[in-house]
Amino acid sequence: MDNKNEQDLRFLQLRFIGKILAGFTHEIKNHLAIVKESAGLMGDMIKMGKTAENESQYLEIIQSIEEQIERALVHFTYLNRFSHRMDTSLSTFNINESIEELTALLHRFANQKRIRIEKDFQKDLNPINSNPSMLQFLVFNFLEEAIAKLDKNSRIVVKTEVMNGSVAIRVIPEGNVLESDAEKVLCPPEITDYVIKMLNGNISRQGEGAVITLPVKAA
Amino acid sequence: MSHTKILLVDDEVEFVSALAERLELRNYEVKTASNALEALGLIHGYLPDVIVLDLRIPGMDGIETLKTIKKYDPAIEVIMLTGHGDSQSVEEGMKSGAFEYIMKPVDIGELTSKIDKAKRKREKG
Repeated sequence: MDNKNEQDLRFLQLRFIGKILAGFTHEIKNHLAIVKESAGLMGDMIKMGKTAENESQYLEIIQSIEEQIERALVHFTYLNRFSHRMDTSLSTFNINESIEELTALLHRFANQKRIRIEKDFQKDLNPINSNPSMLQFLVFNFLEEAIAKLDKNSRIVVKTEVMNGSVAIRVIPEGNVLESDAEKVLCPPEITDYVIKMLNGNISRQGEGAVITLPVKAA
Repeated sequence: MSHTKILLVDDEVEFVSALAERLELRNYEVKTASNALEALGLIHGYLPDVIVLDLRIPGMDGIETLKTIKKYDPAIEVIMLTGHGDSQSVEEGMKSGAFEYIMKPVDIGELTSKIDKAKRKREKG
């Protein structure tokens, strides 16, 4: 049983990483497209002799290029942190930061359906000792399923809080569920149950959402 | 060839505004829209010759938008803007009546060449 779950888990983890990379590269390509067009526009203006009188426009274009590079750098930072979370199976980390990074990397997929992912994080949450990449994998699966099932213009709230000495992460989809997608299962419950068991935590499914609870310290 | 009216549809506002200016510097008339509904709303009054449509716009799916445009006026030519990972959508788009597709980031020379070809096809009817 565990062997089968392990195999399925590896497949689903690769799918998860693939999806994160697809979203990331799409995001970066868009920033590069803006930089390319902005630089091209300046080149066009210079070639067409539109120089001195357009100084302020040049400055605006340069500022836009700088902003795109800054935005791309933020995404590179998220992807870099995301990658390093897989370095070790156990570490002490800030849950809010790990979910912030995950939702940023998933933003583009949610945006395709105009679904907003809103964060309601308890600010003074202490770091926990657990497996950060497995936690992200779990949260990803609930978010992905909610994105697939919800109608356009919905929202998903991701809430973190301390609950009875554990840390709880709630994924709360809000909006109409598409009838055609209501039964959609992207990650079988036996896999999420298998992963949460490894993390010594608990999953409670609530409608289309879920509450993941984790101990503050690994067992 | 007469004056070409273009509608650029992409949710990246900075991208679309820089590209619009570059096309205007090349004497094209350009309007922009950041989502499908805005684009469909503009078509009726503006009557563009060519629409450059990002396949991944928020709200209505790009292919769905393309089909709606072609249903409204089959003579409007649509050039799809795509990423490298969109080969399935490109195939579907071509089957749904798109004139051509172009990869993002775009090459302005390649884009204007495709726009001109699309305009010629529209004029020939």
